Amino acid sequence: MDPDEVEYLGEKQFISIIPTFNSNTIHLISGGDVGPFRASIPVRVPLWMAINLKQQQKCKIQQPDWMEVEKLEKIKEDEKSSRTFTEMPSEHYMIEGKLILGCASDDIPRADEIRTIIKDIWDIRMSKIRSSVDTLVKNTGSYAGVDNLTIMEINSIRPILPHALDQIYRIKATRKQLRIQSQGTTTFLSNTRHSTSFNTAS
Amino acid sequence: MPLPSAYCPNYYSIDDILATQERSPSKFLLNVPKMGKLNPSEGEIDLKAGTTLELPTWLVLEICTGRQPIVMPDLPKIYKESYREILKADACATFKTRFRQLMDLADNSISDPSVQQRLDTLERRLFRDSYNARTKLNAWLIESGATIEAANMVVNHKKRKRIDVEDLIN
Repeated sequence: MDPDEVEYLGEKQFISIIPTFNSNTIHLISGGDVGPFRASIPVRVPLWMAINLKQQQKCKIQQPDWMEVEKLEKIKEDEKSSRTFTEMPSEHYMIEGKLILGCASDDIPRADEIRTIIKDIWDIRMSKIRSSVDTLVKNTGSYAGVDNLTIMEINSIRPILPHALDQIYRIKATRKQLRIQSQGTTTFLSNTRHSTSFNTAS
Repeated sequence: MPLPSAYCPNYYSIDDILATQERSPSKFLLNVPKMGKLNPSEGEIDLKAGTTLELPTWLVLEICTGRQPIVMPDLPKIYKESYREILKADACATFKTRFRQLMDLADNSISDPSVQQRLDTLERRLFRDSYNARTKLNAWLIESGATIEAANMVVNHKKRKRIDVEDLIN
């Protein structure tokens, strides 16, 4: 998946805005009904709609609960001290952070600090991903838990990890096949056409 | 996004076909008339039994089996004792060891063509795919006016500097 596609998925997340206009309920094909909008009464809308309204100067975006310097600092410390991945406040924290801070940094107090902390958290988690992917491949683990990883993070190790695992599987499968074949044949130069292994022992 | 390679020896796989071009040393068990030109150093018309020649794998596979095998294949050079140590006797192990370097290379997007030449075909494909994905992700991270980025101090800090690719390979 492209990061843009993941971003598209993340834009379905609901956030709170304060509209500056009045409007009836809007019926969306997916995601249900939104509104009604009353000026200066908070209402929850999908992220994509909030961004759009903000760009038209028709609303103020209220920062999500977790988007505060203190809370993020806490998350960052937890993430640093924990060996595994800690739970993120939002399934799409990176996307929300990027989009909201991108278009509405005037609505968010201390936007610059938040921006830096989010990036720090992202970096810590990325380095964890890289080392655990390495361990997974080296130790022939047959599965990996991806608890608490967000979609964007999982997507960052595609396609290299699945493809590498495919290759390892492929090499192993060939080896297994050869073993089965060699059990049926006593000598290397037997009549079986399938025997393509080279003469190693004798 | 499936990896467009064969998952086991596959008749139609271009990669597999190309791989059978590799030569492996084989010893002739029979006299082969009129094929002396395969071994120009002898200058004879017939090819004698006991000659050792490097033949392409596709040919060896055909003539080493059957009721009357013509050649006896030897292990290709790359699987000889001395090389086995390098390969750690296992393609899988080698792949795993090199995987970390491959991943680091792809992530530290450096447009250095010489890096790719040290990878084999399979690794190069993995590298290319993951390099493209990484480039897209990086582009996503920096696009749109306001970037989410690490503080200048952190970027300049020595620990966070880009890893030297030369060290990784060696």
